Amino acid sequence: MGTVGKAIPHDSALGHVTGEALYIDDIPFAKNELIVEFFGSPVAHGKIKSLNLQKARQVEGVAGLYTFQDIPGHNIFGSILADEFFLAEELCEYFGQPIVIIAAENRKAAKQAKKLIQITMDEYPPVLTIEKALEKKQFLGVKREIKRGHLQKALDEADHILEGSFFSNGQEQFYLESQAAIAYPGENNEMTIHSSSQNPSEIQQIVAEGLGIGLHEVVSVCKRMGGAFGGKETQTAIPAFMAALVAFHTKRPARVVYTKDDDMKITGKRHPYQTRYKVAFTRQGKITGLKADFYSNGGAAADLSTAIMERTLLHADNAYFLPNVELSGTVCKTNFPPNTAFRGFGGPQGMAVIENILEEIAIFLKKDAFDLRTLNCYGIEENNITPYGQIVSHSILPTLFENLAESSQYKARYAEVVSFNQRSKTHLRGMAMTPMKFGISFTTKFLNQGNALVNIYKDGTIQVSTGGTEMGQGLNIKIRQIVADEFGIDLENIKLMPTSTEKNNNTSPTAASAGTDLNGMAALDACQKIRKGLVRFASQHFASREEGIFPSPDCIHLENGIVYDERRPEFTLEFKELVMLAYQAQVNLGARGFYKTPGIDFNRETGKGSPFFYFTTGCSVAEVTIDRFTGDLRIERCDLLMDIGESINPGIDIGQLEGGFIQGVGWVTGEELRYQENGELLSFSPTTYKIPNIQDLPRVFNVNTIKNPHHHINVRRSKAVGEPPLMLCLSVWAAVKNALSYVSGNQIPKLNIPASNEEILKRLTQAADSSVPFGSEENEIPLISTLNTKI
Amino acid sequence: MRDYVLLYINGKRHQISGERVFQPLSDFLRYDQEMVGTKVVCAEGDCGACSALLGRAGDGTLNYQVFNTCIAYVFQLDCRHVVTVEGLKGHNGLHPVQQAMIEHFGSQCGYCTPGFVVAMAALFEKRHDLTEQAVRDGLTGNLCRCTGYQAIINATLSIKPDTVETMAERFPALPMLDAFDQHSQSSVLIEYPESIQGKTIMKRSFIPSSVQEAVLLKKQHPDAVLIAGGTDISVQMNKEKIDPQTVIILPDTPELRVLELDQENLKIGAKVRWSELEIFCKDKLPELHKILKVFASDQIKNCATMAGNIANASPIADSLPFLFVVNAEIELTGIQNKRWVEINRFFHGYKNTDIQAEEVITQIRIPLPKPEQFLKLYKVSKRRDLDISTFTAAILVEMVDDQMIKDIRIAYGGVAPVVLRLAKTEAFLKNKTFDLENMRTAGKLAREEIAPISDVRASRDYRLRLSETTLEKFFHEVSQTE
Repeated sequence: MGTVGKAIPHDSALGHVTGEALYIDDIPFAKNELIVEFFGSPVAHGKIKSLNLQKARQVEGVAGLYTFQDIPGHNIFGSILADEFFLAEELCEYFGQPIVIIAAENRKAAKQAKKLIQITMDEYPPVLTIEKALEKKQFLGVKREIKRGHLQKALDEADHILEGSFFSNGQEQFYLESQAAIAYPGENNEMTIHSSSQNPSEIQQIVAEGLGIGLHEVVSVCKRMGGAFGGKETQTAIPAFMAALVAFHTKRPARVVYTKDDDMKITGKRHPYQTRYKVAFTRQGKITGLKADFYSNGGAAADLSTAIMERTLLHADNAYFLPNVELSGTVCKTNFPPNTAFRGFGGPQGMAVIENILEEIAIFLKKDAFDLRTLNCYGIEENNITPYGQIVSHSILPTLFENLAESSQYKARYAEVVSFNQRSKTHLRGMAMTPMKFGISFTTKFLNQGNALVNIYKDGTIQVSTGGTEMGQGLNIKIRQIVADEFGIDLENIKLMPTSTEKNNNTSPTAASAGTDLNGMAALDACQKIRKGLVRFASQHFASREEGIFPSPDCIHLENGIVYDERRPEFTLEFKELVMLAYQAQVNLGARGFYKTPGIDFNRETGKGSPFFYFTTGCSVAEVTIDRFTGDLRIERCDLLMDIGESINPGIDIGQLEGGFIQGVGWVTGEELRYQENGELLSFSPTTYKIPNIQDLPRVFNVNTIKNPHHHINVRRSKAVGEPPLMLCLSVWAAVKNALSYVSGNQIPKLNIPASNEEILKRLTQAADSSVPFGSEENEIPLISTLNTKI
Repeated sequence: MRDYVLLYINGKRHQISGERVFQPLSDFLRYDQEMVGTKVVCAEGDCGACSALLGRAGDGTLNYQVFNTCIAYVFQLDCRHVVTVEGLKGHNGLHPVQQAMIEHFGSQCGYCTPGFVVAMAALFEKRHDLTEQAVRDGLTGNLCRCTGYQAIINATLSIKPDTVETMAERFPALPMLDAFDQHSQSSVLIEYPESIQGKTIMKRSFIPSSVQEAVLLKKQHPDAVLIAGGTDISVQMNKEKIDPQTVIILPDTPELRVLELDQENLKIGAKVRWSELEIFCKDKLPELHKILKVFASDQIKNCATMAGNIANASPIADSLPFLFVVNAEIELTGIQNKRWVEINRFFHGYKNTDIQAEEVITQIRIPLPKPEQFLKLYKVSKRRDLDISTFTAAILVEMVDDQMIKDIRIAYGGVAPVVLRLAKTEAFLKNKTFDLENMRTAGKLAREEIAPISDVRASRDYRLRLSETTLEKFFHEVSQTE
């Protein structure tokens, strides 16, 4: 029996529960290791007038202070556009932007030196909001567009038109292990760097380029991460480079570990978005045209913002057929740390807008939004082409709608919500069902590749290395399962090695939910290469001229640790015996595998193509209760139903669904980034930035998967599962909007993301006061003018 | 006088002195002892990644409770036994919570997991059966960003309490209790010279053995910081907001540990921990109990005290509005005498109290609400549980014939530099009919009486709104309209 399809615990579960699993800062200190700290910009926008390091240098225990002038190679880097500095040179563009790297024998000395660095700045007014950036015409990259049909015609002929604007705030990744790296200098120019990174190949590259050495001098390693969620795709570059620069200059190992406060203050987050939309629809609620202009708050450098915006546009349809569309996406340059990847990668912001629109149409037409969502959903045979021209193939979206409506008793509970709201003077209930269709593949075509190294040792045990990194998502156990099944052996014989650029070169970040797809397929390819040689050898071993059995690799079976020829099953070899014999017969027992995703392409200029290998889809129903006097939100029940293909490991995958969903719930409810007017983050630790805790889990939480008989592609017919469930959180947000509609009379209640208690109470108050029309104000990131320290 | 802290870690005895006691236990574990299973994320007691079990002597044994090692400095931990994740593995291999977490997919990235398994283990120390709500309550102090918690709840509920080897069984208590007995009679002074920028100052940590000694020390060291649970002071030290030269740890004397109901008064000693009060007031003061449930995590409640909450003088301290409306009194002990101060006169301004240089808070006396009084307490925060309040309120009303307000006391927190009694609103409502219209008018008045600001937790506008709507909410709750 194979192991794929079984719920097998996480690769590191034992290490996790005993505390023996090591993360960067758990690695024992080398004898002469240095602590790395940094000194950052005291303003969000300004020019350095003077920088005096003299006093700091004199602190006992300080080994070195480094500025951009000490960087031997390039000081500039960037995944898409090279526009970001490791260390600010003159201009500082966000609060805390690193200017000086401090290396010291101990933390105390490093902290002391940091306090003694003297800087004077010419301060400029920071640009913090999208509005302001638009006014100043500050952008990152070019405006993107996707168009189809004749929007103007649709607007002219529409029964109804609604327009408005929508704001979704950013979100901190809040991985528990803050950014961390250790650099070990080697002989001559050699540098080994261990970092908590989703992207070891990029760390290798930026370290080499920053130090002015070849990529071949650098080995970049990641054993595991204490969470990442996109926040360690590009943002590890600066801390990793800090450690590398210190190691380069001092020839001593150097360790950087951000405090949670620093990490939250200076690393990028999910982008805040402002969207202006106009939608045309029929009397029945069928959308005939949509214009949506998306503006994201990109921060001070491009990072991945343009790719994120691209994904927003590619998900503005979510699960709905939009015959006539004009979508545009503009990334605004502001004085925040460069915003970056976060689970969903722009998808959530795109989907939120269309889900908002569907709620609004439903409220306007006084219909159940569920019926409108069904009406507008992509069809199977027709109405199944996305605005960018890709066919939504092998879809079971309508079945998902039906099955979930039934299993969650949607209609009956909806009626109960209506009657509750007629009765209660103190609380409001709301309910909504939202679907999710998420495209799988990097939209940058060349990233869709992976390689793997599989080595079988003489005792029949196997080491597997891929470019995929383990951040908790369970990649390693899934690859072990895939490899175990290829050789028909127990999992215990297979080990996943730390991700290292020494073994896997030019790898893509573990991102876009594609970790298992790319690396699993690459591992499979390597296994098949070795298997071919092994099976050929086995076929010769089991052949018998006398019995008339000639060597036939097709007749060889590898299962349950045993190898045999199906024509003579009484003769068997243990897998390890076969391996030893094969070794002695000079058979190659190692292989490199390679995989590239077939059949995908996208033309950015025209906004057309089939960028995705397939779609992962799902649906969610949420029911919420709101306290009318405080805005306090309680999630009563959530039902999730997902098509994730044939799960390689259902235990791991259910964890991804539950965890991704709750993370999204945080984004749409309680997680709120608040800044001071000078651009400094105020909510920079869990005291003030509230991610969901165990009490915030819905009272009833049903998470299920559904079989998709049409899905035949991808590794072991599985589907990517990392990001998609996050976007089901929109059901919770839509349920709040639904609740507000019961008290808003003939108005359509406005509701931004996050629907914090404060946001909800504000909207309730507006609902009670008809003199204030909904949507009369634009919304942006909350900027606080008075700093309060009363904790 | 002793010059070291006696601390057992996973059954091993440590005598720690000098500079090494002036650090959070989490740093001591990770960087001094190289026990890196305990993780540090926030260094402020809000994530639970650093959780460990704290064994304290009581009833002839050691009782273990979960606590945050990042906000417990080594100097506070004299005569304690700490069990870390490394010590959980028992005589029969993995602790059942560890095994269950593996089997139920309770870990993903694993960074929060050591903290979780320790907090879970604490739930089984009494071998009680657990409801799902009890599991949630017990794990409120632990954040996980990966799992969405469901798997962790499932893992915890799968454990049979009677199969769990408790810490008292795992680590023989007697040798440690004996050592604690021998040590706890003597006072402790640990000092070390710290040089910063060429200047040397003597850092000191005192553990007096009586209240009198504590008061004397406070007189000798006027700038000393007094520590009961230390859950707030430690955060300020970790974040480098304060760097006290001298700390004085309040001792666990019987006087400071008193917790009793004396006729109509609840007496709470300054070293009574919130978790003890929570159990004690469950039936006697259900409204306070309800707030204590959401007020903080077990980790915090197992260390923090009401006296600390009061002395800290934050306008958003969760206990204060309640203490204001019931007219609690605070006992201040000086060198010569004791005095009682009404809480309504105790705060002079933001973080400014009536405590004199040579006084310490020793007790709080709370008159219990009478049967004819209705008491309601409110806490509004960004997240319902384990969050610092945006707004707090306490309302105590006494009615005649269920409809006329005879007396009403309203206290709001988070709306001004200090907790406020709303004198004008109270005066307006006195002798008025208890109806929605009057409460709404009162809400408008309440708005006028406060001066909230916008900050990281909420806007001024939200707080103004809450000051109004809370009175309406109170009306509905008392009159029991749904």
